[in-house]
Amino acid sequence: MNTAEKARTGDTILELNWSTFILEIINFLILIWILKHFFYKPVLDVIARRRAGIEKNMEDAQSLHSEAKALQKQYENRLAEWDHERQAAREALDKEIQVERERQMSVLQATLEEERGKNRFVAQRQLEASRLHSEKEALMQGAQFATKLLSAVSGPELEKRLIDLFLDELSSLPTEQLSKLQDTAGKSSNNILVTSAHPLDSNNRQSLERILHETIAVSGPVLYEQDKALLAGIRISIGAWILRANLLDELKGFTDFAHEI
Amino acid sequence: MENSGIIAGIVFQLGPLQVTNTVVTTWVIMGVIAVLGWLITRHLRMEPGPVQTAAEGVISAIEESIDAVAPGHMGHLLPFIGTLWLFLIIANLSGLIPGVHSPTRDLSATLALAILVFLSVHWFGIRTQGVKAYLHHYLRPSPIMLPFHIISEVTRTIALAVRLFGNIMSLEMTALLILLVAGFLAPIPILMLHIIEALVQAYIFGMLALIYVAGSVQSQQLTQQKHNEQIKE
Repeated sequence: MNTAEKARTGDTILELNWSTFILEIINFLILIWILKHFFYKPVLDVIARRRAGIEKNMEDAQSLHSEAKALQKQYENRLAEWDHERQAAREALDKEIQVERERQMSVLQATLEEERGKNRFVAQRQLEASRLHSEKEALMQGAQFATKLLSAVSGPELEKRLIDLFLDELSSLPTEQLSKLQDTAGKSSNNILVTSAHPLDSNNRQSLERILHETIAVSGPVLYEQDKALLAGIRISIGAWILRANLLDELKGFTDFAHEI
Repeated sequence: MENSGIIAGIVFQLGPLQVTNTVVTTWVIMGVIAVLGWLITRHLRMEPGPVQTAAEGVISAIEESIDAVAPGHMGHLLPFIGTLWLFLIIANLSGLIPGVHSPTRDLSATLALAILVFLSVHWFGIRTQGVKAYLHHYLRPSPIMLPFHIISEVTRTIALAVRLFGNIMSLEMTALLILLVAGFLAPIPILMLHIIEALVQAYIFGMLALIYVAGSVQSQQLTQQKHNEQIKE
Protein backbone atom coordinates (compact mmCIF):
# COMPACT_ATOMS: atom_id res chain seq x y z
CA MET A 1 0.00 0.00 0.00
CA ASN A 2 1.60 3.29 -1.09
CA THR A 3 1.26 6.64 0.60
CA ALA A 4 -1.62 7.81 -1.48
CA GLU A 5 -3.55 4.70 -0.64
CA LYS A 6 -2.70 5.16 3.01
CA ALA A 7 -3.91 8.74 2.88
CA ARG A 8 -7.15 7.64 1.35
CA THR A 9 -7.70 5.06 4.03
CA GLY A 10 -6.71 7.58 6.75
CA ASP A 11 -3.73 5.42 7.73
CA THR A 12 -1.06 8.08 7.11
CA ILE A 13 1.15 10.01 9.45
CA LEU A 14 -0.34 8.50 12.58
CA GLU A 15 0.52 5.02 11.39
CA LEU A 16 2.78 2.97 13.65
CA ASN A 17 5.55 1.12 11.95
CA TRP A 18 6.48 -1.66 14.29
CA SER A 19 9.81 -2.23 12.56
CA THR A 20 10.71 1.41 13.15
CA PHE A 21 9.40 1.17 16.69
CA ILE A 22 11.55 -1.85 17.51
CA LEU A 23 14.61 -0.57 15.68
CA GLU A 24 14.33 2.83 17.40
CA ILE A 25 14.23 1.12 20.78
CA ILE A 26 17.28 -0.93 19.89
CA ASN A 27 19.01 2.09 18.41
CA PHE A 28 18.42 4.15 21.51
CA LEU A 29 19.64 1.41 23.82
CA ILE A 30 22.76 1.08 21.70
CA LEU A 31 23.21 4.84 21.78
CA ILE A 32 22.93 4.80 25.57
CA TRP A 33 25.65 2.15 25.69
CA ILE A 34 27.89 4.04 23.28
CA LEU A 35 27.58 7.34 25.08
CA LYS A 36 27.94 5.73 28.47
CA HIS A 37 31.20 4.05 27.54
CA PHE A 38 32.70 6.53 25.13
CA PHE A 39 31.45 9.85 26.36
CA TYR A 40 29.94 10.00 29.83
CA LYS A 41 32.39 7.73 31.57
CA PRO A 42 35.63 9.34 30.29
CA VAL A 43 34.35 12.85 30.83
CA LEU A 44 33.00 12.03 34.26
CA ASP A 45 36.32 10.39 35.13
CA VAL A 46 38.17 13.53 34.13
CA ILE A 47 35.74 15.68 36.09
CA ALA A 48 36.10 13.38 39.09
CA ARG A 49 39.90 13.49 38.83
CA ARG A 50 39.81 17.24 38.57
CA ARG A 51 37.45 17.49 41.52
CA ALA A 52 39.75 15.19 43.48
CA GLY A 53 42.68 17.40 42.50
CA ILE A 54 40.73 20.50 43.47
CA GLU A 55 39.74 18.92 46.78
CA LYS A 56 43.35 17.94 47.37
CA ASN A 57 44.42 21.47 46.52
CA MET A 58 41.73 22.76 48.83
CA GLU A 59 42.94 20.47 51.59
CA ASP A 60 46.51 21.57 50.94
CA ALA A 61 45.37 25.17 50.91
CA GLN A 62 43.44 24.55 54.11
CA SER A 63 46.50 22.95 55.63
CA LEU A 64 48.65 25.85 54.48
CA HIS A 65 46.04 28.22 55.79
CA SER A 66 46.11 26.49 59.16
CA GLU A 67 49.90 26.58 59.18
CA ALA A 68 49.83 30.21 58.18
CA LYS A 69 47.35 30.90 60.97
CA ALA A 70 49.58 29.10 63.44
CA LEU A 71 52.61 31.01 62.19
CA GLN A 72 50.65 34.23 62.35
CA LYS A 73 49.66 33.47 65.92
CA GLN A 74 53.23 32.55 66.74
CA TYR A 75 54.51 35.75 65.19
CA GLU A 76 51.86 37.75 66.96
CA ASN A 77 52.91 36.20 70.26
CA ARG A 78 56.52 36.91 69.41
CA LEU A 79 55.64 40.47 68.49
CA ALA A 80 53.77 40.81 71.76
CA GLU A 81 56.82 39.50 73.60
CA TRP A 82 59.02 41.87 71.67
CA ASP A 83 56.70 44.70 72.54
CA HIS A 84 56.83 43.70 76.17
CA GLU A 85 60.61 43.46 76.08
CA ARG A 86 60.84 46.75 74.28
CA GLN A 87 58.56 48.34 76.83
CA ALA A 88 60.68 46.92 79.66
CA ALA A 89 63.86 48.07 77.94
CA ARG A 90 62.39 51.48 77.41
CA GLU A 91 61.36 51.71 81.05
CA ALA A 92 64.85 50.61 82.11
CA LEU A 93 66.35 53.14 79.75
CA ASP A 94 64.04 55.83 81.10
CA LYS A 95 65.17 54.96 84.60
CA GLU A 96 68.81 55.06 83.56
CA ILE A 97 68.24 58.36 81.84
CA GLN A 98 66.49 59.68 84.93
CA VAL A 99 69.36 58.54 87.17
CA GLU A 100 71.93 59.96 84.76
CA ARG A 101 69.96 63.19 84.53
CA GLU A 102 69.82 63.48 88.29
CA ARG A 103 73.55 62.76 88.50
CA GLN A 104 74.31 65.28 85.77
CA MET A 105 72.05 67.79 87.48
CA SER A 106 73.80 67.28 90.79
CA VAL A 107 77.17 67.62 89.07
CA LEU A 108 75.92 70.70 87.30
CA GLN A 109 74.54 72.04 90.55
CA ALA A 110 77.87 71.47 92.25
CA THR A 111 79.68 73.08 89.33
CA LEU A 112 77.30 75.98 89.45
CA GLU A 113 77.81 76.35 93.19
CA GLU A 114 81.55 76.25 92.64
CA GLU A 115 81.29 78.80 89.86
CA ARG A 116 79.02 80.91 92.04
CA GLY A 117 81.60 80.69 94.83
CA LYS A 118 84.34 81.65 92.44
CA ASN A 119 82.26 84.47 91.10
CA ARG A 120 81.44 85.61 94.61
CA PHE A 121 85.14 85.48 95.49
CA VAL A 122 86.09 87.31 92.33
CA ALA A 123 83.38 89.88 92.94
CA GLN A 124 84.53 90.24 96.51
CA ARG A 125 88.10 90.62 95.31
CA GLN A 126 87.00 93.11 92.73
CA LEU A 127 84.99 94.94 95.37
CA GLU A 128 87.95 94.87 97.72
CA ALA A 129 90.26 96.04 94.96
CA SER A 130 87.80 98.73 94.09
CA ARG A 131 87.54 99.72 97.70
CA LEU A 132 91.35 99.78 98.04
CA HIS A 133 91.62 101.70 94.83
CA SER A 134 89.09 104.15 96.12
CA GLU A 135 90.92 104.39 99.39
CA LYS A 136 94.18 104.88 97.51
CA GLU A 137 92.58 107.48 95.35
CA ALA A 138 91.12 109.10 98.40
CA LEU A 139 94.46 109.06 100.13
CA MET A 140 96.21 110.42 97.07
CA GLN A 141 93.59 113.06 96.63
CA GLY A 142 93.77 113.78 100.34
CA ALA A 143 97.52 114.04 100.13
CA GLN A 144 97.31 116.28 97.12
CA PHE A 145 94.65 118.36 98.80
CA ALA A 146 96.64 118.51 102.02
CA THR A 147 99.78 119.36 100.06
CA LYS A 148 98.01 122.11 98.22
CA LEU A 149 96.35 123.34 101.39
CA LEU A 150 99.49 123.13 103.48
CA SER A 151 101.49 124.77 100.67
CA ALA A 152 99.11 127.64 100.90
CA VAL A 153 98.92 127.92 104.67
CA SER A 154 102.46 126.85 105.68
CA GLY A 155 104.84 129.44 107.02
CA PRO A 156 107.53 130.11 109.62
CA GLU A 157 105.02 129.76 112.44
CA LEU A 158 104.07 126.31 111.36
CA GLU A 159 107.69 125.47 110.88
CA LYS A 160 108.49 126.71 114.44
CA ARG A 161 105.70 124.60 115.81
CA LEU A 162 107.01 121.57 113.90
CA ILE A 163 110.48 122.20 115.25
CA ASP A 164 109.04 122.42 118.74
CA LEU A 165 107.15 119.19 118.16
CA PHE A 166 110.36 117.58 116.87
CA LEU A 167 112.31 118.68 119.86
CA ASP A 168 109.61 117.39 122.25
CA GLU A 169 109.39 114.00 120.55
CA LEU A 170 113.14 113.69 120.42
CA SER A 171 113.29 114.38 124.12
CA SER A 172 110.61 111.80 124.82
CA LEU A 173 112.14 109.03 122.75
CA PRO A 174 112.49 105.71 124.54
CA THR A 175 115.88 105.12 126.02
CA GLU A 176 116.62 102.13 123.90
CA GLN A 177 115.99 104.01 120.69
CA LEU A 178 117.79 107.01 121.98
CA SER A 179 120.89 104.95 122.84
CA LYS A 180 120.90 103.37 119.35
CA LEU A 181 120.64 106.84 117.88
CA GLN A 182 123.43 108.10 120.06
CA ASP A 183 125.65 105.14 119.09
CA THR A 184 125.10 105.72 115.40
CA ALA A 185 125.49 109.52 115.60
CA GLY A 186 128.54 109.30 117.88
CA LYS A 187 130.39 107.02 115.51
CA SER A 188 129.62 109.23 112.55
CA SER A 189 132.20 111.82 111.66
CA ASN A 190 130.06 113.54 109.05
CA ASN A 191 128.50 116.89 109.52
CA ILE A 192 124.94 117.29 110.65
CA LEU A 193 122.80 118.71 107.91
CA VAL A 194 119.62 120.53 108.88
CA THR A 195 117.34 121.27 105.94
CA SER A 196 114.40 123.61 106.47
CA ALA A 197 111.68 125.08 104.30
CA HIS A 198 112.24 128.55 105.70
CA PRO A 199 115.40 130.13 107.01
CA LEU A 200 115.84 129.26 110.67
CA ASP A 201 116.40 132.05 113.08
CA SER A 202 119.15 131.94 115.64
CA ASN A 203 116.86 130.87 118.46
CA ASN A 204 115.68 127.90 116.58
CA ARG A 205 119.19 127.04 115.51
CA GLN A 206 120.52 127.30 119.10
CA SER A 207 117.66 125.20 120.38
CA LEU A 208 118.32 122.58 117.73
CA GLU A 209 122.06 122.45 118.26
CA ARG A 210 121.60 122.28 122.02
CA ILE A 211 119.13 119.43 121.84
CA LEU A 212 121.21 117.57 119.30
CA HIS A 213 124.34 117.91 121.38
CA GLU A 214 122.64 117.02 124.62
CA THR A 215 120.31 114.33 123.59
CA ILE A 216 122.10 112.58 120.76
CA ALA A 217 125.55 113.65 121.78
CA VAL A 218 126.82 114.58 118.32
CA SER A 219 130.00 116.55 118.12
CA GLY A 220 130.27 117.60 114.51
CA PRO A 221 129.33 120.97 113.07
CA VAL A 222 125.71 121.64 112.11
CA LEU A 223 125.13 122.84 108.59
CA TYR A 224 121.91 124.52 107.47
CA GLU A 225 120.32 124.65 104.11
CA GLN A 226 116.94 125.67 102.81
CA ASP A 227 114.55 123.52 100.70
CA LYS A 228 111.15 125.00 100.01
CA ALA A 229 109.88 121.60 98.86
CA LEU A 230 109.65 120.69 102.54
CA LEU A 231 106.77 123.21 102.81
CA ALA A 232 107.34 123.55 106.55
CA GLY A 233 109.55 121.90 109.16
CA ILE A 234 113.02 120.41 109.09
CA ARG A 235 114.96 117.38 107.97
CA ILE A 236 118.10 116.41 109.90
CA SER A 237 120.62 114.12 108.26
CA ILE A 238 123.12 112.49 110.67
CA GLY A 239 125.19 110.00 108.68
CA ALA A 240 122.83 107.30 107.61
CA TRP A 241 120.14 108.63 109.90
CA ILE A 242 117.52 111.11 108.64
CA LEU A 243 115.19 112.68 111.15
CA ARG A 244 112.12 114.12 109.52
CA ALA A 245 109.83 116.73 110.97
CA ASN A 246 108.42 118.42 107.87
CA LEU A 247 105.22 118.46 105.89
CA LEU A 248 106.80 117.08 102.72
CA ASP A 249 107.92 113.89 104.37
CA GLU A 250 104.70 113.56 106.34
CA LEU A 251 102.66 113.93 103.15
CA LYS A 252 105.03 111.57 101.43
CA GLY A 253 104.35 109.12 104.22
CA PHE A 254 100.65 109.37 103.36
CA THR A 255 101.44 108.79 99.76
CA ASP A 256 103.65 105.84 100.51
CA PHE A 257 100.98 104.42 102.75
CA ALA A 258 98.53 104.77 99.90
CA HIS A 259 100.96 102.99 97.59
CA GLU A 260 101.48 100.27 100.13
CA ILE A 261 97.76 99.75 100.23
CA MET B 1 3.24 13.91 0.38
CA GLU B 2 5.47 10.92 0.16
CA ASN B 3 8.02 12.87 -1.78
CA SER B 4 8.00 15.57 0.85
CA GLY B 5 9.16 13.05 3.43
CA ILE B 6 6.52 13.90 6.00
CA ILE B 7 5.57 10.28 6.00
CA ALA B 8 8.47 7.99 6.75
CA GLY B 9 9.26 5.99 3.68
CA ILE B 10 10.79 2.55 3.61
CA VAL B 11 14.36 2.69 2.48
CA PHE B 12 15.01 -1.02 2.34
CA GLN B 13 13.75 -4.28 3.77
CA LEU B 14 15.87 -6.29 6.20
CA GLY B 15 14.08 -9.60 6.40
CA PRO B 16 10.80 -8.95 8.14
CA LEU B 17 11.99 -5.53 9.31
CA GLN B 18 11.25 -2.47 7.21
CA VAL B 19 14.08 0.02 7.48
CA THR B 20 12.52 3.46 7.07
CA ASN B 21 14.29 6.75 6.55
CA THR B 22 13.55 7.49 10.24
CA VAL B 23 15.74 4.58 11.22
CA VAL B 24 18.42 5.52 8.73
CA THR B 25 18.46 9.10 10.02
CA THR B 26 18.67 7.75 13.55
CA TRP B 27 21.65 5.64 12.57
CA VAL B 28 23.34 8.62 11.04
CA ILE B 29 22.66 10.67 14.18
CA MET B 30 23.97 7.82 16.29
CA GLY B 31 27.07 7.70 14.17
CA VAL B 32 27.59 11.41 14.42
CA ILE B 33 27.12 11.36 18.19
CA ALA B 34 29.44 8.37 18.56
CA VAL B 35 32.14 9.94 16.41
CA LEU B 36 31.83 13.27 18.22
CA GLY B 37 31.99 11.52 21.58
CA TRP B 38 35.05 9.58 20.50
CA LEU B 39 36.77 12.67 19.12
CA ILE B 40 36.03 14.69 22.24
CA THR B 41 37.12 12.00 24.68
CA ARG B 42 40.14 10.91 22.68
CA HIS B 43 42.53 13.40 24.30
CA LEU B 44 40.95 14.38 27.56
CA ARG B 45 43.24 16.46 29.73
CA MET B 46 43.16 17.87 33.22
CA GLU B 47 43.49 21.32 31.70
CA PRO B 48 40.60 21.25 29.25
CA GLY B 49 40.48 22.96 25.89
CA PRO B 50 37.40 24.72 24.53
CA VAL B 51 35.77 21.56 23.16
CA GLN B 52 36.43 19.55 26.30
CA THR B 53 35.18 22.46 28.38
CA ALA B 54 31.96 22.51 26.35
CA ALA B 55 31.54 18.74 26.73
CA GLU B 56 32.16 18.92 30.46
CA GLY B 57 29.76 21.84 30.67
CA VAL B 58 27.03 19.83 28.95
CA ILE B 59 27.51 16.86 31.24
CA SER B 60 27.74 19.07 34.31
CA ALA B 61 24.49 20.79 33.34
CA ILE B 62 22.78 17.40 32.92
CA GLU B 63 24.23 16.30 36.25
CA GLU B 64 22.94 19.38 38.03
CA SER B 65 19.48 18.97 36.50
CA ILE B 66 19.26 15.34 37.54
CA ASP B 67 20.65 16.07 40.96
CA ALA B 68 18.12 18.87 41.44
CA VAL B 69 15.17 16.58 40.63
CA ALA B 70 16.46 13.24 41.94
CA PRO B 71 19.22 13.84 44.47
CA GLY B 72 21.49 10.88 44.97
CA HIS B 73 20.51 9.10 41.74
CA MET B 74 22.61 10.99 39.29
CA GLY B 75 24.90 8.04 38.59
CA HIS B 76 22.00 5.75 37.61
CA LEU B 77 19.97 8.25 35.65
CA LEU B 78 22.66 10.16 33.78
CA PRO B 79 23.14 7.73 30.86
CA PHE B 80 19.45 7.44 30.09
CA ILE B 81 18.38 11.05 30.68
CA GLY B 82 21.54 12.50 29.18
CA THR B 83 21.22 10.36 26.07
CA LEU B 84 17.58 11.36 25.73
CA TRP B 85 18.48 15.05 25.81
CA LEU B 86 21.46 14.79 23.48
CA PHE B 87 19.66 12.53 20.99
CA LEU B 88 16.47 14.60 20.96
CA ILE B 89 18.33 17.90 20.50
CA ILE B 90 20.25 16.57 17.54
CA ALA B 91 17.27 14.63 16.16
CA ASN B 92 14.93 17.61 16.41
CA LEU B 93 17.50 19.98 14.88
CA SER B 94 18.32 17.55 12.07
CA GLY B 95 15.11 18.61 10.35
CA LEU B 96 16.80 21.91 9.57
CA ILE B 97 19.20 20.19 7.19
CA PRO B 98 17.80 20.24 3.67
CA GLY B 99 16.70 16.79 2.56
CA VAL B 100 16.88 15.39 6.09
CA HIS B 101 13.80 14.82 8.19
CA SER B 102 13.82 14.63 11.93
CA PRO B 103 13.27 11.11 13.27
CA THR B 104 11.01 12.64 15.92
CA ARG B 105 8.46 13.63 13.31
CA ASP B 106 7.69 9.88 13.15
CA LEU B 107 5.23 8.66 15.77
CA SER B 108 6.90 5.27 15.76
CA ALA B 109 10.16 6.81 16.91
CA THR B 110 8.60 9.08 19.58
CA LEU B 111 6.45 6.23 20.81
CA ALA B 112 9.55 4.06 21.02
CA LEU B 113 11.22 6.70 23.16
CA ALA B 114 8.09 7.14 25.29
CA ILE B 115 7.89 3.38 25.81
CA LEU B 116 11.53 3.41 26.85
CA VAL B 117 10.71 6.14 29.37
CA PHE B 118 7.73 4.12 30.57
CA LEU B 119 9.88 1.03 31.01
CA SER B 120 12.74 2.94 32.59
CA VAL B 121 10.38 4.41 35.19
CA HIS B 122 9.51 0.93 36.34
CA TRP B 123 13.05 -0.34 35.88
CA PHE B 124 14.57 2.32 38.11
CA GLY B 125 11.70 2.03 40.57
CA ILE B 126 12.06 -1.72 40.88
CA ARG B 127 15.83 -1.46 40.95
CA THR B 128 15.65 0.99 43.79
CA GLN B 129 13.09 -0.73 45.99
CA GLY B 130 12.31 -4.12 44.62
CA VAL B 131 9.30 -5.45 42.69
CA LYS B 132 6.90 -5.90 45.59
CA ALA B 133 7.57 -2.60 47.27
CA TYR B 134 7.48 -0.78 43.96
CA LEU B 135 4.20 -2.28 42.82
CA HIS B 136 2.77 -1.65 46.23
CA HIS B 137 2.82 2.08 45.63
CA TYR B 138 0.09 1.66 42.99
CA LEU B 139 -2.18 0.73 45.84
CA ARG B 140 -1.49 3.92 47.74
CA PRO B 141 -3.15 5.78 49.19
CA SER B 142 -5.98 3.28 48.49
CA PRO B 143 -6.34 0.23 46.24
CA ILE B 144 -9.15 2.09 44.54
CA MET B 145 -6.52 4.31 43.00
CA LEU B 146 -4.95 1.39 41.08
CA PRO B 147 -6.95 1.91 37.85
CA PHE B 148 -6.23 5.60 37.94
CA HIS B 149 -2.54 4.95 38.41
CA ILE B 150 -2.55 2.58 35.45
CA ILE B 151 -4.48 5.03 33.28
CA SER B 152 -2.06 7.77 34.32
CA GLU B 153 0.93 5.68 33.35
CA VAL B 154 -0.51 4.88 29.93
CA THR B 155 -1.81 8.33 29.14
CA ARG B 156 1.30 10.17 30.14
CA THR B 157 3.35 7.82 28.00
CA ILE B 158 1.09 8.39 25.02
CA ALA B 159 1.08 12.13 25.73
CA LEU B 160 4.84 12.11 25.83
CA ALA B 161 5.04 10.44 22.45
CA VAL B 162 2.32 12.43 20.77
CA ARG B 163 3.51 15.79 22.12
CA LEU B 164 6.96 15.42 20.63
CA PHE B 165 5.69 13.87 17.45
CA GLY B 166 2.98 16.52 16.99
CA ASN B 167 5.27 19.47 17.57
CA ILE B 168 8.09 18.36 15.34
CA MET B 169 5.84 17.04 12.61
CA SER B 170 3.78 20.23 12.64
CA LEU B 171 6.92 22.33 12.42
CA GLU B 172 8.09 20.48 9.35
CA MET B 173 4.61 20.53 7.87
CA THR B 174 4.30 24.26 8.44
CA ALA B 175 7.66 24.92 6.86
CA LEU B 176 6.67 22.76 3.88
CA LEU B 177 3.32 24.46 3.41
CA ILE B 178 4.83 27.95 3.64
CA LEU B 179 7.49 26.92 1.17
CA LEU B 180 4.79 25.69 -1.23
CA VAL B 181 2.58 28.74 -0.78
CA ALA B 182 5.04 31.64 -0.32
CA GLY B 183 8.10 30.38 -2.08
CA PHE B 184 11.83 30.30 -1.45
CA LEU B 185 13.25 31.95 1.77
CA ALA B 186 9.77 32.51 3.17
CA PRO B 187 9.99 29.62 5.70
CA ILE B 188 13.15 31.08 7.29
CA PRO B 189 11.27 32.54 10.31
CA ILE B 190 9.58 29.21 10.70
CA LEU B 191 12.99 27.53 10.61
CA MET B 192 14.19 29.86 13.37
CA LEU B 193 11.11 28.89 15.32
CA HIS B 194 12.05 25.32 14.51
CA ILE B 195 15.36 25.75 16.36
CA ILE B 196 13.68 27.10 19.48
CA GLU B 197 10.90 24.56 19.33
CA ALA B 198 13.35 21.71 18.79
CA LEU B 199 15.35 22.69 21.85
CA VAL B 200 12.24 23.29 23.94
CA GLN B 201 10.68 19.98 22.97
CA ALA B 202 13.89 18.11 23.66
CA TYR B 203 14.10 19.78 27.05
CA ILE B 204 10.43 19.05 27.82
CA PHE B 205 10.67 15.41 26.80
CA GLY B 206 13.88 14.85 28.77
CA MET B 207 12.70 16.78 31.81
CA LEU B 208 9.34 14.94 31.87
CA ALA B 209 11.17 11.64 31.57
CA LEU B 210 13.44 12.72 34.41
CA ILE B 211 10.48 13.77 36.55
CA TYR B 212 8.65 10.48 35.90
CA VAL B 213 11.73 8.43 36.74
CA ALA B 214 12.59 10.60 39.74
CA GLY B 215 8.97 10.32 40.89
CA SER B 216 9.12 6.57 40.85
CA VAL B 217 12.45 6.53 42.65
CA GLN B 218 11.53 9.12 45.24
CA SER B 219 8.04 7.72 45.84
CA GLN B 220 9.78 4.55 46.91
CA GLN B 221 12.06 6.54 49.12
CA LEU B 222 9.15 8.40 50.68
CA THR B 223 7.35 5.11 51.24
CA GLN B 224 10.44 3.68 52.81
CA GLN B 225 10.88 6.72 55.02
CA LYS B 226 7.31 6.51 56.21
CA HIS B 227 7.74 2.78 56.79
CA ASN B 228 10.91 3.40 58.81
CA GLU B 229 9.20 6.09 60.84
CA GLN B 230 6.33 3.69 61.59
CA ILE B 231 8.81 1.03 62.71
CA LYS B 232 10.56 3.52 64.97
CA GLU B 233 7.24 4.57 66.49
